[in-house]
Amino acid sequence: MNKYFNHQLTLLSIICLCCGLSGCTTVTIDQVQHQEIELVQGDSIVVIGRRSGSDYETEPELISCIGEVLAKSNTSLNVIPEEDFVDRLYPWFEPRTAPTQVRDLSRLLSYDKIAALIDDYQVQYIVWVDGNTEKTRSAGSISCGLSATGVACFGFGTWDTKSEYEATIWNYKTRQLVGKVSSVADGTSYMPAVVVPIPIIAPVQADACKAMAYQLGNFFGEKSVNSPEQNTK
Amino acid sequence: MGHYRKNFTNIVRLNLLLLCVVLTSCKSTLNVVGNFPTPVVNQMPFSIGVVLGPEFTNFQYIEAEEDRDEWDISVGKAQTQLFDVVLTAMFSDVATSQSLQEMPDKSIDLFFQPSLENFQYNVPNETKGKMYEVWLKYNLKVFDAQQQLLADWILTAYGKTPTAFLKSQEDGLNEAMVIALRDLGAGIALRFGHVPEINQWLKKKQEALQASIPPLKFNNPNINK
Repeated sequence: MNKYFNHQLTLLSIICLCCGLSGCTTVTIDQVQHQEIELVQGDSIVVIGRRSGSDYETEPELISCIGEVLAKSNTSLNVIPEEDFVDRLYPWFEPRTAPTQVRDLSRLLSYDKIAALIDDYQVQYIVWVDGNTEKTRSAGSISCGLSATGVACFGFGTWDTKSEYEATIWNYKTRQLVGKVSSVADGTSYMPAVVVPIPIIAPVQADACKAMAYQLGNFFGEKSVNSPEQNTK
Repeated sequence: MGHYRKNFTNIVRLNLLLLCVVLTSCKSTLNVVGNFPTPVVNQMPFSIGVVLGPEFTNFQYIEAEEDRDEWDISVGKAQTQLFDVVLTAMFSDVATSQSLQEMPDKSIDLFFQPSLENFQYNVPNETKGKMYEVWLKYNLKVFDAQQQLLADWILTAYGKTPTAFLKSQEDGLNEAMVIALRDLGAGIALRFGHVPEINQWLKKKQEALQASIPPLKFNNPNINK
């Protein structure tokens, strides 16, 4: 009976250890600020993904993540969800119709209906996020086999992932470029397999999101945003 | 001993069942579903008759190439929904029929007949960027009140979406389809008035309306001034 419990305890410990493991990520953040930030109570910020790149797509979940982290960090910072904003202003913020330069905003806002809708949201800043996360290298192999006792895998796999994002901040009221924030994250994930594959995943995109949100929080004058663990995790 | 033999037989049966599930030939079926928002455009004070034949409302793409995975994609319902939302926002009155001859007997300013000429898609293992991509090519025809062809042009639409953890192939392709249809809606809403023949027609109508009803405000940003 004791032997059975010891076996179960060991198995549970291994599972807990595997769940707690994660790969390493290095994050580099950078920013350029051209103008002072002027936010008053009630002003809103909208974070939108730039999706005009031909060979990549800024992930919607990354945009949601940045918006959520920014909004959670400070309840006075009103962050409009991307989907709400883009749907309400359809078809003016679609991948092929969205303004690509800050001066295009003036042309867009010459249509009264659009100007009124954006005014309803009390938008002060529009943050355009461009970039993506991709696998840059992979090595190793894992083979799985089917036997009478079940499926078993053996081998070792590793892969590198890189996230590169740049946020461009426009002041909607003055129609000027306020600044840029970039977030670059690199990480290596591992998957050893001894009967059961054990994924040790580097949360590269999630760390790039937190770093970007942290820096945007600083950019907008919010100091209470929790900083992601600097550089290495 | 008998107990172990029974367990062993059960495990073998379970593994064979799993193997059968894995080896079963997979055919993906997708019925495109999406919500299309109402476009923010100035409504034109004209009535339009939309001709949506059964080949349009029931459009279905079945993958015929042997070296590709089997796909059965139904686009008809979603594209009908999109045209309904977009044209209702663009025109003050919209009537729908299956053919020009079956149009309701009432005064209609324009007739509009879309047809999907070409449909192409890619799944992540076929693209460099590991994305779902959809490309649509529509032929759009507009007839005047006497059912004479006024304009005939091609409008293409494109949609792409990245792969995501735990996202099924069907969900990924559906998302790309919805983005492509939204792109189509944007193209119709914003470029309709820029088609030269339609632009001329709209200018004439606008002048006639302004001459007959002076205070009527008809200011559409989509018409070339």
